[in-house]
Amino acid sequence: MRYSFYPGCSMEGTAVPYRKSLEPVAEALGMQLEEIPDWNCCGATVASGVVGDYTQQVVAARNLALAESGNLDVLVACSSCFLSLALTNRRFQEDEHFRRQANEALAEAGLKYNGSLKVRQILEVMANDVGYEQIRARVKRPLTGLKVAGYVGCQTMRTLPWEFDDPEHPVVLDRLIEALGATPVEFPMKTRCCGSSQALPAEKVLVDASREILESAAAGGAQMLITPCPMCQLNLDAYQGRVNQLHQQNFALPVLFFTQLMAIAFDLPPETWALKYCIVSPFTALAPLGIR
Amino acid sequence: MAGCQVSPEAVRYDPAFSREVYRLENGAQIKKCMQCGMCAVSCATRTKMNYSPRRLFNLIKQGKKEEVMKSNTMWMCTSCLMCKVRCPRGIAIVDVMHDLKNLAIEKGYVTHPQAAFYQAFWKEIVSRGRVFEGGVTARYYLKRGLGEIKSALEMKDVGMAMLRHNRLPLLPPRKIKGLGGLRKIIAKAQSQRKEVG
Repeated sequence: MRYSFYPGCSMEGTAVPYRKSLEPVAEALGMQLEEIPDWNCCGATVASGVVGDYTQQVVAARNLALAESGNLDVLVACSSCFLSLALTNRRFQEDEHFRRQANEALAEAGLKYNGSLKVRQILEVMANDVGYEQIRARVKRPLTGLKVAGYVGCQTMRTLPWEFDDPEHPVVLDRLIEALGATPVEFPMKTRCCGSSQALPAEKVLVDASREILESAAAGGAQMLITPCPMCQLNLDAYQGRVNQLHQQNFALPVLFFTQLMAIAFDLPPETWALKYCIVSPFTALAPLGIR
Repeated sequence: MAGCQVSPEAVRYDPAFSREVYRLENGAQIKKCMQCGMCAVSCATRTKMNYSPRRLFNLIKQGKKEEVMKSNTMWMCTSCLMCKVRCPRGIAIVDVMHDLKNLAIEKGYVTHPQAAFYQAFWKEIVSRGRVFEGGVTARYYLKRGLGEIKSALEMKDVGMAMLRHNRLPLLPPRKIKGLGGLRKIIAKAQSQRKEVG
């Protein structure tokens, strides 16, 4: 299982614990990740608001052009990067006019992309390439009794709707929680928007949206949330204090990347759990497992 | 939220603005809108918007340039894709919102704070090839000016907690090696887009 790996900008900043846990977990599962050399920002869903979809997708395509000679599926963990790269890739494959135009632009830097690669989302790879049985077999510290809300977030499943799991009520993360020995809780808000990049311009949007998600997780009896999305993780973790402050709540729900929980269940070295990066402390929830 | 009463006067249409919007990358899709309201009931930020996407599309059809360009609807859109997945006419509503943000910036309707954030983000891409959160934040506050200091202070606890947990590196990562090439690609793409438009 070899992949071209696109980490994305957040893994160099706010989502460091994602990368710190993802790489060792992937290795433990027999996956080889080869980082795309000199990758650039995919533009997320922000760049197109300034320069339009076309320019944004050409910017994203530089990464696919750099990866194409490796001839490996491109593994993407961030949901926004996945959206950007998967939709760009699809357009290269289906829209000949676009492909010709975009390649004219890429040629300015001596690059070309033929559209031969597959862009894969990490949860889909976990389910289809690795498989739940393999994941279950690797567990050395079953998370028995731990109640987890699997927060998939909005873009992961809806980028290519109906190609993998349900765009509104996916079960992929719940199955993974089960495979780790933990219990997935009832969680109707599992793909509701967390407020995305409104933190700076309109904090209220984020705080209100995140409150609904935390409430839903708490109502299901969750002791923590896990997610594959750097933006969701940051919003629900770093702004939980603001949610409590502005909505008079007492949430104390740790929010981990799903790979952090996998690293714990696989009993990999504690530094791969990357728990010191958690803003809401995970240690109360993890105490029954002997983790302090 | 805008009132829902029926106008006592005939609606004056301004097709020039409508046609301008239809020419945007995803603009023509708006013509498919049948005003069912699925987007409005699906939207995660609907209650924060001046107009729901449905109402905004209707205003575009009527050519109401000022209402559309000044509205916060597209800026409140978080690209969560719920409307795009559900739209029975298959309109890529999120992508239309990208176009409208783009048009608003081009026409100088940039008073919504999100416009400053978006521009800061893009500037970060062009100057480093990658986006560094600290850089986007600094550029955002520079653009918004002193008025925003109060909100910055209100959020200082969030920033401090992030710093304490090593979630907010103070130094940016290195610029990408191919930055010159990336800039050429961007320049070419933008000139191609102008030719088409």
